[in-house]
Order: sequence, then C-alpha cells, then structure tokens
Amino acid sequence: MKKTVIGGLCAILLSAVSTLAHAETIRIANHGQSGIDAMKSTVEKIEKKYGVTVEVVEYPAPDKDYLTKLLTELGAGNAPDLFSIPTTAAVADMVEAGYLAPVTKEIKAWDGYAKFYDVAKQLAVSPDGETYVMPFMLGIQEIYYRKDVLDKAGISTEQPKSWKELLDRAAEIKKKTGAYGLLFPAGVSWGSGAFDEGFQHLIVGSKTPQLVDADGKLDLNGEGVKDAFDVYKQLIDNDLMPTQPLLGPEPWVVPKYQMFPAGKLAATTCGSWCYIFDWGRESKNPIPDVTKVVGTWTVPGQSGGQYVLANLAAPWAINAKSANVELAKKALMEIGSVETQVSYAARIGNIPSSKDAAQNADFQKLTELVPIHAAAENGTFLKQASGFGTVAEGVARATEALLRKETDAAGAQKILVDYVKETLGDEAVK
Amino acid sequence: MLASPNSPFERVTELSMARNVHERRTERQLLLILLPSLALLLAFVIYPALYSVYLSFTNEALTGAAALRPRFVGIRNYARLLNDAKFWNALLVTFLFVVGSAVIGQFVLGLISAVALRRRIHFRRLFSSIILLPNAAPEVVAGFMWISMLAGGEQATLSRIVSFFGVTPADWLQVFPLSMIIIVNTWRGIATAMILLTAGLSTIPNEIYEAARMDGATPSQMFRRITLPLMMPTILLYMLISAVSTIAVFGLVYALTRGGPGGATELVSIYIYNQSFTAFQLGYGAAVAVVALLISLVLGIGYVRAMKVEV
Repeated sequence: MKKTVIGGLCAILLSAVSTLAHAETIRIANHGQSGIDAMKSTVEKIEKKYGVTVEVVEYPAPDKDYLTKLLTELGAGNAPDLFSIPTTAAVADMVEAGYLAPVTKEIKAWDGYAKFYDVAKQLAVSPDGETYVMPFMLGIQEIYYRKDVLDKAGISTEQPKSWKELLDRAAEIKKKTGAYGLLFPAGVSWGSGAFDEGFQHLIVGSKTPQLVDADGKLDLNGEGVKDAFDVYKQLIDNDLMPTQPLLGPEPWVVPKYQMFPAGKLAATTCGSWCYIFDWGRESKNPIPDVTKVVGTWTVPGQSGGQYVLANLAAPWAINAKSANVELAKKALMEIGSVETQVSYAARIGNIPSSKDAAQNADFQKLTELVPIHAAAENGTFLKQASGFGTVAEGVARATEALLRKETDAAGAQKILVDYVKETLGDEAVK
Repeated sequence: MLASPNSPFERVTELSMARNVHERRTERQLLLILLPSLALLLAFVIYPALYSVYLSFTNEALTGAAALRPRFVGIRNYARLLNDAKFWNALLVTFLFVVGSAVIGQFVLGLISAVALRRRIHFRRLFSSIILLPNAAPEVVAGFMWISMLAGGEQATLSRIVSFFGVTPADWLQVFPLSMIIIVNTWRGIATAMILLTAGLSTIPNEIYEAARMDGATPSQMFRRITLPLMMPTILLYMLISAVSTIAVFGLVYALTRGGPGGATELVSIYIYNQSFTAFQLGYGAAVAVVALLISLVLGIGYVRAMKVEV
C-alpha cells in the first residue's frame, strides 16, 4: 500500500514537472495546402523567437466549409488561437459576435503598419473603429480577358468605359468567336464568391456605390443594386455567360479552370491570384505565357470611371477566448512581415499590403504581380458592416434565381432584401 | 399467538420476502446494465433534441450580434417557416425522395432480391455479396464515387456507357437531379431491404406453399395470396425503418449535389444544414429540425398503428 502511494505521488510530481518543462503551444488554423506551405518559414520563426510550439491545423476547403467549421468552433469555445478569415464580408459579423480580439494598439505600434497601403489600413478598421485583423494581403480584382482570342477575332482590347460598353464587348465576343463573353460569379454554390468576385465589382461603380449608410444600416433598395442585377440578367438572357456549371457543386471549376484556358470563355472577373493559382505555375491546367495571353481591364463604372476593387485577402485574427492572447498577438505581427506576404504572393497570388514588398528581391521575380501591387495605391473598396455575410448569401440566392431565369432585376433585388430582412430583422435594412 | 418457526405461513412469508429481495436485486442489476445506454441516449439524443426545441424559440446565430446576445423570439421562426417557399420545396423534394427510393425502389428491388436469392441459383453467394457491397462504402465516399459516374457531361462514366448504345449523353446531375439521387439512394438501400425481407420470408412455413401447389396455385397466386399477406408485418416494419431513415439522409446527397441545382435536390436535412451552417441561423434551423422530427414521429405512429404493434 505504501509503495502504491509513493509510486502515485512520484507519477504526479513527474507529470507536473514535465508540464512545466513543456513549451507553450499556440494553435493556428490554416486553409489549404498552399497557405500552409506559405506559412512554413513564418511558423519556424515564431517557434524560434518566442520558444513556443506552433500547431498548424489544416481546415477543409472550400471557403464556405472552412468558415462554417471555424464559426462552429468559435461558438463552441474551442477554436484555434489564430486563424485566417476567408472572406472580408465575415469580419464585421465575427466582431459583433465577440469572436475576435482587438489588436488596434499592437498593430499601430508595430513598425510594419506604417508601410501598409492606405486601402489595407482602411479595410482593416471595423465599424466600431477598432482593428481586429492583420490586413497582410490584398485581393485586387479586375476583369481578366483572353487577349489572344480577341486579337484573333479582331475585337478591340481597349478598356471598356461603361457597363454598356462592357456588355456590348461581351456580345461581340459571343457573335464573332462563339465563346462566352464575360463571367460574373453567381449562384448559391459559389458561396460568397457571388458577392466578393461579382456583385460588389458592379456596386462600387453604380449609382449607389455603397451598401451601408451613415447609420450603419444596409442600403439595399437603391437603384444601383437593381442595375447591378440587371447586368447579370443581360449576361444570362443573352447567353453571354455560362449558367449550367454555376448551378452545380464547385461551379468555378468548369468556367475558370476549363473554359477560360480553352478560350471558350473570353473574360471573367478574377483576382491577382488567377495569374498564379488558376492559370499560372500553381495551376493544374495552366495557360502558356499567361501574362502575355491574359490581359486585365479594370471594372468600368456604370456611366464611366474605372475601379480597382480591393479586398482583404484572408486576413488573420486572434480568438478573443484564446488562452494565449498576448502570445498570439506577437505571432500575428510576425505573420504581417514582408517575408510572409511575399511567400503567400508566390504561392497563392494575392498582393502584399506592404509597399516595402516592391523592394523585396523574391517579390520582384513575381513579374505578373508587380504592376498589380503598384495599382493597389489607387484601390477602392466597399465599406463593410455587420450583416454583410447575410447580404453575401442574399446576393447568392438572388443571382441563383437570375441564373434559373425565374426573375428579373427588380425581383432579384426583392429576393435580396427579403432574405436579409427575414434573417436580420426589418430594422437592419434601410 | 406466535406461529411455530417452521409453520407453512412462515415458510410462505420467508419465500415471498426472498422473492422480493431477489426481484429488487434483479431490477437493480438490470438498471445498472441499462444505465450506460440510458446515459448515452440522454446525452446524445434526448438532451440535444430538447435543446433544439429551446433553440427554435430563439434567434441564436453562429455569427453576428445574435451569436453574442441571442433573444427569445417566441414562434417567429415557425411563422417564418410557414411562409418560406424553400422549406415547402424541401418537404416536397424529401417526400418524392422517400417515396421514390425507400418505398418503391429499395422495397421492390429488395423484395425481388430476397425472393430470387432464396432459390438455388448459381453464384448465389456472389450475388448476395454484390448486393451487400454498397453498404460497405461510407455515405460521402459513395457520393463522390457516383459524382464520377454522373457529373462532367460527356466525360461522365454513365455518359460514356449510354453513348455506346447511341443515346445522347447529358449532364445527369443537372438535367435529372432528383431522379439521380433516387437511383443512388436506391442502390445504397437494397441490401437493408433484402436482409429484412429475407428474414420475413423465412418465417413463412414451406408447408403452406406445398399445400398451395397441391391445390394448383400458380407462382404469382402464391406470391399475392400467401407471401405478401404473411409478410405484411415485416413489410410495414421495413417501411417504417426505411422511411424514417431516408428522411434523415444527408451526407450522400450533399456530396452529390449539395442540394442543387437551384434547390432541386434540397432535402429537408440539407435545408436544415444550409440554414444552420451556411446562413448561420441556428434558431431557424432548429425550428425546421423540430418540424422534421414531428413529421417523422407522425409517420412512425402511423406505421406502428398499421402494424397494430404495442410499443
């Protein structure tokens, strides 16, 4: 009996000692193998600098499923300490849910912050004036078109100056080449892409260029929203964009990974990542000489003007209920380093938020991204607010109805407004 | 006057007390044996169901203000449900799915398999194994396997097969989405039907068939007048189990179509998932789940009454 008691006490003592000796662990959620690879050297740096163990947890793609899993874990209280957020539209809602720890003081005191593009700094500020995310990468979106297809058919590659010109160009492409003229992501299967990579491009250049009014209410009944849906309607009704693939699972695969490389789709909205991830060296179906063969147009305004739309690309945030908030904040600053930004840019194709990246030797090798990085100086963005996640889902449902030819532009606007009101309450919508 | 120690009265009393003690001990032992199952049932079935009912009366969400400060909203979620066209669509799709795959597809093919495999045919064991194989694959794996068969237009395996016979291939999951998921679920459920119906067939004494043959009954008469009536309890039991379990099918169809295109295959289970984990409206999703539970309960009660079984 005595031996048993002594043996038990020794075991307890040993385990206590080993616990003390064991390094602190922070858990980082990452999304997709490319992101994990891009973070490898940063993870090693964090471990060495702070004497911690970093556990990288890979979450499933696509973005929709990753966000679902992340939110479920945040709600349950067992989410990782640090995580990336797949869509900017989700940030404001996550702030309101109390999931994210504020990092305003730390980011502003950090020496890398001063070098960020203004648009990145502005995008990182939440409606309550605090900063909750590290805006280390920007998604710069434009219209990508097949120069070779247009040149061969004798179609102008000049920058379209208005929505009408853009639609006319798409019709000309269809008439002269048989290829679809222009794709705007749409439908429920595309998840937040219907909003992030489609709808918001049009809104920023429309008669009502913002969706949030001064009181923070969602302004969805404006004419700009209806006109934006009308662009979709014209593209769909005139058979200028593929519709069947958008109604199935993984709707981006056929149009972006098959049709566009094959020249059967001549233009599509996309981000800088497309030069690397969709059609470039990381692609499974690359386009040879992609930077020569694929050109870009900025999205024209409804009646003129040009808009380079910027989003935060997978910004990083800290779990408000993390047991290691202070340590996570330090790790967050390391993630914001120029080296990490360039590593991500090389593997995924998003744009570093830091102006200093232009002087980085590794970034200079990414010749397809260098001019886009410079264009970020003039980036524009849609002001975010709580409820944007619901707006994105509403846009997906409204464009789905357009894809299925069940409604017109006004009807699509009604679907959006009704969905947001049903989900968030009548008082959320102006 | 005290009874003598060994009087019959005392003996009966002693025996009765011993029996009571024995019965109580047996009851306690039974309770102990059942306790783990009861605990699991309570933790993973009863409590979540009750919590869902509670959630259905709130506006709880996975994100936004309602995640931090959910409110009691009374029957608002249920009122919204009544006016939600997508909910009614999900119910209709589920009804067609259950009737097509469980009630018709699995039952008919399961019964044919059960009857056929009772005969002495060549390779009987091989055929049994082939019929049982679909159950070996996990739902999602089966779903992805069928995607390679059905998705991709001309590249799909089914398209290549029908092209060989001169039929124009189609994008099967886009053009015939509901039919395709019914076929896939039928394929997956034949084994269960066959097993249950084989058990039912084995309870029918052979002497009845012999007597019928001697009376000159044809095989189809024997099937209609002997097999089906005597198998009715088994058939009803099968219908109950398969209907209730088919209502709950999720992984297979979600892997195949995610409820699309345009809600054409959005079963009520997928609708619940979409409301709760895509739109992040836990309260509303819970309300739909409660309604689905009630529908399953009503169905179950209906079948039990039809079987005239005391539960």
